Amino acid sequence: MEEYSGDEVSFNSDEASVSVKECIENIIGGVDYNQNKVNQWTASIVEHSLTQLVKQGRPFKFIVNCAIMQKSGAGLHTANSCYWDTATDGSCTVRWENRTMYCVVSVFAVAVTL
Amino acid sequence: MSDLAKEKAARLLKKRASVSSLGSHEVKAKETAGRTKDSLSTVSYMDEPGHHDDNLRPAVQMENTYQMGPYRRFPVITVNDILKDVLASYLQEEKYEADLCRQMTKTISEVIKGRVKELMVPRYKIIVLISIGQLGDQNVRMGSRCLWDSSNDTFSSHTFKNSSLFAVANVYAVYFE
Repeated sequence: MEEYSGDEVSFNSDEASVSVKECIENIIGGVDYNQNKVNQWTASIVEHSLTQLVKQGRPFKFIVNCAIMQKSGAGLHTANSCYWDTATDGSCTVRWENRTMYCVVSVFAVAVTL
Repeated sequence: MSDLAKEKAARLLKKRASVSSLGSHEVKAKETAGRTKDSLSTVSYMDEPGHHDDNLRPAVQMENTYQMGPYRRFPVITVNDILKDVLASYLQEEKYEADLCRQMTKTISEVIKGRVKELMVPRYKIIVLISIGQLGDQNVRMGSRCLWDSSNDTFSSHTFKNSSLFAVANVYAVYFE
């Protein structure tokens, strides 16, 4: 995978997806769906992802959205549409699943002019 | 400057080359080192191919406007009504079907973005997020957290349900300084 180090102002989806994937693994990797805990899982996933993204120190506002769904054969579709400056803003979506549940995390980054 | 443009063009090509489709839910057993042998993760970012043609310019440098905040705030109540209206009109009589809903999510998100743009609230960037799911015995939990300027930025959300499907629409509005 090529790495682009130039152009600080544009959002790097690859780096973001890697940190989000790690957050998800740390919080729900290897556990089964549990109705009592799912509230706290979604909250932790979004909080930790946001913290990791902020640690990158880039000048962005972030929106992190997480959906956890129990596996029962039902389907789920997600779409997003964004009105922004495509040169500087970006998004990334990470889909994760295990035996009992799906997790979809979307990260949107909007540039801030400093 | 042309180096910057070349880098951007190369990066955009890389993005297009790695587009993968949403909506596939196959479970693949994947052997990875450690405890996570039954988890699978994929990364996907979808880009509409047409929208990047005008993107080879470098980021625009803005001059000071000395404007401290938005002259007109984002109208959350109006947008709530828009969401209610659009979801009801598109989904009232529909039954959940994979192909239909896949297309419907994309269409609805574009429609909502268009209607919010028509409100012409200056200096706001808009993000619309739609999820449509089948009603079954499962539970779904959605959560969202935002790092932004809470005095200017806001969001609007609406859920719709009929006998065979549910839909969640989120609109985030971010003020551009």
